[in-house]
Amino acid sequence: MNRYFRELSVAGALVLLLALLGVVAPQFFELQPLLSRLTAQVPTLVLTIGIAMVMITRQIDISVGSQFGLCAVLAGNLLAGGLSLPLALPLAATAGAAMGALNGCLVAWLGLPSIVVTLATMVTWAEVLRLTQQGRFINLPAGVQWLGLSQPAGQTALLAASLGLLAAMAWLLKNRSGGRHLYAVGSDAEAARLSGINPKGTTFWVFVCMGALAGVAAVCNLVQSPQVDPKCGTGLELKAIAAAVVGGIAVNGGRGSLWGAFVGLLLLATINPALTFLHVEAYWEKAIQGLVILLAVVADGIRSRRNAS
Amino acid sequence: MAHSSRSFKTQLLRHEVLLLLVLVLEIAYFLNFSRNFGTPDNLSNIVRHSAEIGLLALAMMPVILTGGIDLSVGSLMGLCAVLFGVLTHDWHWASLPAAALTVAAGLVAGAFNASMITLLRLPPLIVTLGTYSLFRGLAEAITQGTKTYRSFEPAFLQLGELRPAGLPLQAWILGLGALGFYVLVHRTTFGRSFRAIGFSPEGSRYAGLPVLWRTALPYLLAGGVAAVAALLFTARLRQARADAGTGYELAAITAVVLGGTSIFGGTGTVYGTVAGIAAIAVLNNGIGRIPAVLKAGIGGELASLLTGALLLIALAAPGLSKLLQSVRKRSTLPASAPPSPSPTP
Amino acid sequence: MPQPTAMKRSQFLHSLLVLPTALLLPGCNKSETGAGAAGAGKKLTIAFMPKSKGNSYFINCEKGAREAVQELGVDLLFDGPTNTDPAKQNEIVENWITLGVDVMAVACENKEGISGALKKAQEKGIKVVTFDSDTTPDARSFFVSQATAQGIGEGLMDEAARLCGEEGEFAIITATLTAANMNEWRKHIEARLAEKYPKMKLVDTKPCDDQKDKAQQETTNLLGANPNLKCIMAICSPAVPGAAEAVKQAGKAGAVKVLGLGLPSENRAYLKDGITQSVILWKVADLGYLALHAAHALGSGALKAGDTSFKAGRLGELQVDSNGAIILGKPFVFNKENVDQFDF
Repeated sequence: MNRYFRELSVAGALVLLLALLGVVAPQFFELQPLLSRLTAQVPTLVLTIGIAMVMITRQIDISVGSQFGLCAVLAGNLLAGGLSLPLALPLAATAGAAMGALNGCLVAWLGLPSIVVTLATMVTWAEVLRLTQQGRFINLPAGVQWLGLSQPAGQTALLAASLGLLAAMAWLLKNRSGGRHLYAVGSDAEAARLSGINPKGTTFWVFVCMGALAGVAAVCNLVQSPQVDPKCGTGLELKAIAAAVVGGIAVNGGRGSLWGAFVGLLLLATINPALTFLHVEAYWEKAIQGLVILLAVVADGIRSRRNAS
Repeated sequence: MAHSSRSFKTQLLRHEVLLLLVLVLEIAYFLNFSRNFGTPDNLSNIVRHSAEIGLLALAMMPVILTGGIDLSVGSLMGLCAVLFGVLTHDWHWASLPAAALTVAAGLVAGAFNASMITLLRLPPLIVTLGTYSLFRGLAEAITQGTKTYRSFEPAFLQLGELRPAGLPLQAWILGLGALGFYVLVHRTTFGRSFRAIGFSPEGSRYAGLPVLWRTALPYLLAGGVAAVAALLFTARLRQARADAGTGYELAAITAVVLGGTSIFGGTGTVYGTVAGIAAIAVLNNGIGRIPAVLKAGIGGELASLLTGALLLIALAAPGLSKLLQSVRKRSTLPASAPPSPSPTP
Repeated sequence: MPQPTAMKRSQFLHSLLVLPTALLLPGCNKSETGAGAAGAGKKLTIAFMPKSKGNSYFINCEKGAREAVQELGVDLLFDGPTNTDPAKQNEIVENWITLGVDVMAVACENKEGISGALKKAQEKGIKVVTFDSDTTPDARSFFVSQATAQGIGEGLMDEAARLCGEEGEFAIITATLTAANMNEWRKHIEARLAEKYPKMKLVDTKPCDDQKDKAQQETTNLLGANPNLKCIMAICSPAVPGAAEAVKQAGKAGAVKVLGLGLPSENRAYLKDGITQSVILWKVADLGYLALHAAHALGSGALKAGDTSFKAGRLGELQVDSNGAIILGKPFVFNKENVDQFDF
């Protein structure tokens, strides 16, 4: 119980919110719109998995939104130029991994602070995207949307695939040595090194993995609509980081689980539609999001202080 | 120990000196190749346009020096601008008391950040990520997102245009701010403890420093400075709206880090920050005046790209040389080479 | 110890030397062409600013402006904000003043906010026209208008009422809650609603941060939360396809009407599938073309305060009203039938 306090308390808050919606606005749970709402969060979920891993290793990556946008536009342009759909995923993932590798090199091998490195690459990729695409939408060929399946089948497939990815990564992090290395490096890089782990290698591969996931997320976004908006990645990094934080991933590294980040994402992603369903004015949204983040960390702080004393 | 601290110092010195060199090169280049770069009007514009970000960077510097960060300053500018608008328009206050209360509100907001970070010992990144949303959200909620406050007292609007003794008012304020922070950080024992705290909070506590209060002060100041920046911004733009200061927190952090302050805390100088602010401001202004860039209309994009590149180069240079050094050591002394200490945070 | 230190320093110096040289190389070539152009004669220099860069609407505008530049043989400076900093336009105007341009054509993001900077330009003898969205009338000579805010607001409301049969609920998707021109349109939409359509009701207004995906999510929520919704009005260009996609995914095509302000190329498929009913827009390239012609005429003295008409290249003779507004013409309403006639 105590060990999963954070995950459970966030899940509790989510259940409360859903219960409130169930009473006040039961139409929130209509199946088809619910499916659409959940599918729309799939790209953010994939990014959140990556961000959680980066944060567990005690790093941060604020360039993921720009990476996401660049991968989406790259894959979109290639698809529009006749690339076959099955090739888009590995291609976008490779492009993302390459951008992640740049971050990884700078952070792991040159020992630069990740927040500054990814601040610089965030700006760089955003400007590259602006200069090359100039804000033009890309019209995708028919058959890309929903992977050529029917809409419900496509949505279910995307959801299942992303949940599968989440479960697999969560299992890897918890049960395989490669996954435990992230926690070890995040808790104490020097101790990890002395016990035979290569902290630099681990850090590097985490960033590569993050980049690849940004590419995968971009494709998950791309197949949901017949057009690509080059601004699609703007602000996603903050959404993913907020989800991870609310879900109990420690910003100081070494603590938290992907399932926690998942619940955090669900909570944050429910707030926005909940405001619409409860007919709260839109201008309260940011303030409420901020309050939820603060409440989550304050709860943490009070609890850890009580435990300490 | 003495030797290592000296080489430490020389390295620091080197960063600031080199940054100054970059600045001089930038200016020399732009004077030769950029259209009308050196005119007095343009030079005063450079200062006027970078005053708000510059002030935020100066206030951010001690925060980062203690090993913290404040992502909420840009949003706080929005909140303070809106508050000033409410006071002068909806409550019909005169500009002076309204400005005073706005600064007080900025200090309160800073104190809110500080208390969460010190009393509850929460990570600054997360606390200020929360207040980043919260402050901007409150600003939007107060104005219902849509309201823009216009037509302020002429005397207040003069703040954006005044030129006492030939220099724009912003230059005086920025200079005063730089001097104030310089004295605080480098010339008082109080300020020197920021560095100690950033270097090792535990060690500082054992050394008898009142760590809580001294960690709190930079956030408090950052709140007050954000309010002042909001006032300057409102006077310059002649309007107050919830979107004031959007993205300024990242610009301020960029200037501080470019100025040689370690993002992990413990090392950095105020004059380095000033050089960082100047290097970015000059780059932003000058690059868009190169005729070819003007013709292509890509000044803004190029300035961002080059700022990012400059930041990476400034950071990577010492790391690269360390890496080469260790490779070299390994090749000359293969057996006895000690493992290089990992610089992970 | 001295050796590594020396290494470090040379490394530092090397990386620092690379940067200015990299800057110098392109700079040398191009400064020559710049000097050549300046020496060639007294061409007018016209500075042209969109509300933001990297936005398909203003890219079309720029296309038209560049067409006019070819015709008129002027020097064009094109720049605009690349981020959401509301001070950016003022800074660019103040930079242009020190660059010594002859005429400025500006699409204003902040009506009041930019007026101070534009007045400063006028004091220095620089002529100012605005286009797309105006500043205060005392800060410019002419305003090149695609339609008035009132015209756009009322046009949208009338079209929505027509699609809904003048009764039922509708919702608005806007870019951001702080976007000044859209707030102006919303004011006129609401005024028209109160005045003419008592049986219609505006249930909600949501921002989409100028992103298609967010517009889609907001529309999905609106459709679920308001089962009686009959119409979505999207007043920023990425929101129109976003709203249409949400309506399509909800299986409510035709039952919930979609209309908005957007580019035909981004909405063609949805119009043809009958998901989006109407997209309203003027010929954006013509707006840029006209703005540049007006700027040129003002700069060369062909257009003076008090003129009531003015000839703008291929657009012919256009009226100038008493407020100094040059009206491009009525906006187009794109629908299933006519969308293929437009290529922007």
